[in-house]
Amino acid sequence: MLDKPVFSIYEVFMQKDQMSPHVHVGSVDAGTPEDALLLARENFLRRDEAVSLWVVRQDAIHATPYSDPDWFAHPAEKAYRMTQSYARENNDRWRKYKKRMLTLDDVVKD
Amino acid sequence: MSMTYAEQTTEFMARIEAGEKIEASDWMPDEYRIALVRFIQMHALSEIMGAYPEKEWVPRAPTLARKLSLMSKVQDEMGHGQLILRIAEDLAAPLGKSREDLIEELFTGQCKFHNVFHMPAPTWADCGVIGWLVDGAAVVSQGALLDSSYAPYARVLKRVCAEEGFHIQHGESICLALAEGTPEQRQSLQDAINRWWEALLHFFGPKEVSNSANILLKYRFRVKTNEELRQKFFTKYITRVNALGLTVPDPNFHWDEATQLWIYADPDWSRLKAITRNEGPMSRERLRLRQLSYEQAAWVRQALTAPVAV
Repeated sequence: MLDKPVFSIYEVFMQKDQMSPHVHVGSVDAGTPEDALLLARENFLRRDEAVSLWVVRQDAIHATPYSDPDWFAHPAEKAYRMTQSYARENNDRWRKYKKRMLTLDDVVKD
Repeated sequence: MSMTYAEQTTEFMARIEAGEKIEASDWMPDEYRIALVRFIQMHALSEIMGAYPEKEWVPRAPTLARKLSLMSKVQDEMGHGQLILRIAEDLAAPLGKSREDLIEELFTGQCKFHNVFHMPAPTWADCGVIGWLVDGAAVVSQGALLDSSYAPYARVLKRVCAEEGFHIQHGESICLALAEGTPEQRQSLQDAINRWWEALLHFFGPKEVSNSANILLKYRFRVKTNEELRQKFFTKYITRVNALGLTVPDPNFHWDEATQLWIYADPDWSRLKAITRNEGPMSRERLRLRQLSYEQAAWVRQALTAPVAV
C-alpha cells in the first residue's frame, strides 16, 4: 500500500528575455526543485517564450500583508519626485528662448 | 482585541462590497471557502474530463494539421486542470483536504463534472462543434468570472481564457470547413448541432438560482446568473450558426423585442439531473478511464515525491 505522496508548493517566476525581469506567473506542486522547473515549463510555457524560469518554495517567500494598506501609504504628496510637476513650468520658461524642455527620450536617443 | 466570527464576517462582507479582492491567505467565512472549493474543484476536474471526448478524435483526425491542433487543445485542457487544481488546493488545505482528496472525490461522485463531457462525440463534426460552441459556452461562462472577488482564481483564468481563445478558433475552423464542404459534410455539421443543442442549454445550469449560486453571487465570486450567461451565449452564437445557413433544433427559437430576451424551448432538465448522478451516456465509461489512469500512475506520483530524510 503506497503512502500518499507529499508535494511542496513552488512559486514560479518567468523571464521572457534577458532585458526583462522575472515575473511571477503562478505555482506548481512538486517533490523536488528540478521537477518543479519541469512542471513549470509544462504549465506556463505552452505558448509564452522564456529564457529563464525560477521556482521558489512557497514557504521561502516573505510578503507584505494585504490587510495592512498603511504599509504602502505615503506620508505626504510626493509630486516633487515626478516629472509631470516640471513639464508645464519648464516648457513655459523655455518658450522664451524658442526652445522646449528635453525629455528622457530626447537625451537618450542618438 | 480579537474579533468574533460574526464581526469578522461583517468586515469581510464590507470588503467584498467595496470591491476588494480576496487572497488565499486572507481570513474568510467558512461559507465562502466551502462554496469556492466546490466551484473551483469542479472546474479543475471538468477541464481534465474535457480531454476525454476530444482525445477520442486525436487518432482519427482527418489531417495532420487537425491532429496537431486537437492535441494542442487536449494538452491545454489537462494543463488548465493543473493550474486550477492548484487554486482549489490552497483553499481546501485549511479544511483538511489534500490534492488527492479533491481528485478522488470525482470517483466517489461527490464532485461532479460539466454535463458536456458526459456526452458522446460520434462524428468529426461533433469534434468541431465542441471546439466552436461548447468551448464558446465555456468562454462566456469563464469570461464572466475574470473580475471575481477571489483574486488567485481571476488571475489564473486570464491565462486559461487566453488559451480557450485558441480553442474557439480551432473549432470555428473545423466547422467552417465542414459548412463549406460537400452536402454530406454540411449535413454532418447540422446533425452535430442538433445533437449538442440540449447539452449546450444544460451547460449553463437551471434557470432557478440555487443556494450555492446565491452564495457565490453574494460574495461576488460570480456576478452573472445562469440565465444571463445562457442569453449571452445565444447573442454571441445563434446569428453565426444561422449565417452559415444552419439551424438550431428549436422551431420557435426567436428574439423577443419586448422582453429583450431570446425565447427558447426548455430542455429536458431531468436528463441534466441524471448526468449529475453520473448516469449520462458516457459518464461511467469516462470516469472509469480516469480512475484507471489515476491508479496506474500512482507509482509515478510516488516517484516524484520529495525523498524522506532518514
